[in-house]
Amino acid sequence: MRPGRAFLVTKRIFWSLRHDPRTIALMCFAPILAMCIFGIAFSGNIENVKVIVINRDQGAYVPASNMTIRISDLIIDNMDEKKLNIHHMTDENEAIGAVKDGKYSSIIIFPEDFSRSVVNASQGGGEQAVLRIRSDQSQVNVATEIVQTVTNAMLKTLGDRGMKTPVAMDVSDPIYGKGARFIDMFVPGIMGFVVFLLTTLLTLISFVGERTRGTLTRLFANGLTEGEIVTGYAIAFGMVGMVQVGILLTVAILLFDIMVVGNPLIAFLIASLLAVVSVSLGILLSSLAQRESQAIQFFPIIILPVFLLAGIFWPREAMPLWLRPLSYLIPVTYAVDALRSVLIRGWGLADIWVQLLALVGFAAIFLTGAVYMLKFMRGR
Amino acid sequence: MKAIEVNGLSKSYGPIIAVSGLDLHVDEGEIFGLLGPNGCGKTTAIKMLLGLVRPDSGSAKVLGRKAGSKGSLENVGYMPQETALYEELTVKENLKLFAGINGLSGNEYRKREDEVLDLVNLGERRDSILSTLSGGQRHRVSLAVSMVHAPRLLFLDEPTVGVDPPLRANFWRTFRKMRDRGLTIIMTTHYMDEAVNCDLIAMMREGRIIAQGSPSEVMSRSKAGNLEDAFLKLSREEVKV
Ligand SMILES: Nc1ncnc2c1ncn2[C@@H]1O[C@H](COP(=O)(O)OP(=O)(O)OP(=O)(O)O)[C@@H](O)[C@H]1O
Ligand SMILES: [Mg+2]
Repeated sequence: MRPGRAFLVTKRIFWSLRHDPRTIALMCFAPILAMCIFGIAFSGNIENVKVIVINRDQGAYVPASNMTIRISDLIIDNMDEKKLNIHHMTDENEAIGAVKDGKYSSIIIFPEDFSRSVVNASQGGGEQAVLRIRSDQSQVNVATEIVQTVTNAMLKTLGDRGMKTPVAMDVSDPIYGKGARFIDMFVPGIMGFVVFLLTTLLTLISFVGERTRGTLTRLFANGLTEGEIVTGYAIAFGMVGMVQVGILLTVAILLFDIMVVGNPLIAFLIASLLAVVSVSLGILLSSLAQRESQAIQFFPIIILPVFLLAGIFWPREAMPLWLRPLSYLIPVTYAVDALRSVLIRGWGLADIWVQLLALVGFAAIFLTGAVYMLKFMRGR
Repeated sequence: MKAIEVNGLSKSYGPIIAVSGLDLHVDEGEIFGLLGPNGCGKTTAIKMLLGLVRPDSGSAKVLGRKAGSKGSLENVGYMPQETALYEELTVKENLKLFAGINGLSGNEYRKREDEVLDLVNLGERRDSILSTLSGGQRHRVSLAVSMVHAPRLLFLDEPTVGVDPPLRANFWRTFRKMRDRGLTIIMTTHYMDEAVNCDLIAMMREGRIIAQGSPSEVMSRSKAGNLEDAFLKLSREEVKV
């Protein structure tokens, strides 16, 4: 192995890129686009849900303040306006029809004795107050969000009125990720996804090209070794991976104001390791394709398992138990884990050594595999 | 020293015998022509000498080193049958890349760049993207690339395909000049008027050599008036001359 010759392969890749603005654009804008699309679409913020409120509450007389109050009104006032877009109705059947027509997602019904029951219950007697919510449960997320919003409003109202619920929960002081939103969790995921995907696919395509155009043979005929070629590719795409992370971080900070607790330099290290793994995988896969058009057929096979199993969009805890071990066979899993730990938890190198070791292991195995595959293919 | 020594070299692809029991000895400082119909094994033979294809049996030495061994490609140049260059790079970048791989850089390289581009008459086009050149022009770049590092032994697989006659004549002047300086050229061609210019030729058929010698020797031994006839005669009947 002569490093100088490997570096010529790297140089050649950059020369080719310089003459190919479309690929450069793909490498720069695809990450941004992916982040924006997924970031906004999956942001998890369910907003402006149209709901109907039927308020039959007749209120309760409170001796202390010598007046009749309707607790239901206070609860409705406390409902998050951004989340729920409230319309009032009186007829339940009409409301049901409106939900069935798809115009509204839910009906929230306060019964006649609502305030009375609340007051009685707070004094330790009587029946429990019952608030009915009838949702279009076919939209599970929306229905859950409605219940959550109403619950929050209810707890706040009761708290304001000094009616203590027996149990309270305090989530204001998390160990990690104080103030984290979905996008904060998602950006490290999309980083791993984009670096892996673009590197693997670009390497796959350009390597199939090297083979079909005969340049690979010509490199060999000029004394270049398999190791030098693979190293050259790995260096080039390792650098490209770092640039992509740089772009993603910049845009994520400027556009989405994401949380960066840890040292972003470690993110570059993780990305370049992942890129090296991806390069080797691309080269390995290129041996299975004779033409570019065949290589394209691999795309879904590469994308799907990573998309589903690497913990990019949802945590591994959301996967069926029997599927979880599979996620450990995917290098992106470790990269995303490490990126998240660094960016959100603020972990340092010492805390993510397991993930780094796994990535280095994958890189070593895949690189060796790629070199031997090339050696094997050469004599044919 | 012998430029190449080949003994009993064979290679099959499944049922297809590409090269069978090839024996070939070429001295340094010769222009050696490998002739024969399509599919007779010329390219496969060259690739085995370069270590690009693993032979099934037999042995081959290139400039005294075992073919395919480490360092056996030093001082060797190769122009493949297909263009095999980076189409998206400029002429110069292609040259520079392969010169660099062969350890040539700086002023030394710049001198060679001018020399080889002069030879293929593409000095003006050095900054053109390869894919914008014509087929023949691309082929000429490929030739330039194969000798940019001034090798001692040059394998040329159909170097003159698609090259216009004046330029082809120019090529041959250069080939002879290089030969006179001690360079060995092993080339394949389908043009018999060109093969006559070789110092030695070998006729191949079905993976083996059926006639070998100087062009005039091969002509007289196959009792043909010109090389074209000799070629037709030899490729039709299994005669050993
Ligand atoms: N990689 C391969 N796989 C299968 N068969 C091959 C392979 N390479 C060559 N062959 C076969 O070996 C035989 C010799 O091929 P080769 O390319 O050496 O011929 P050639 O003399 O160079 O022909 P041409 O004049 O057309 O260039 C042919 O029958 C060809 O089909
Ligand atoms: Mg051929």
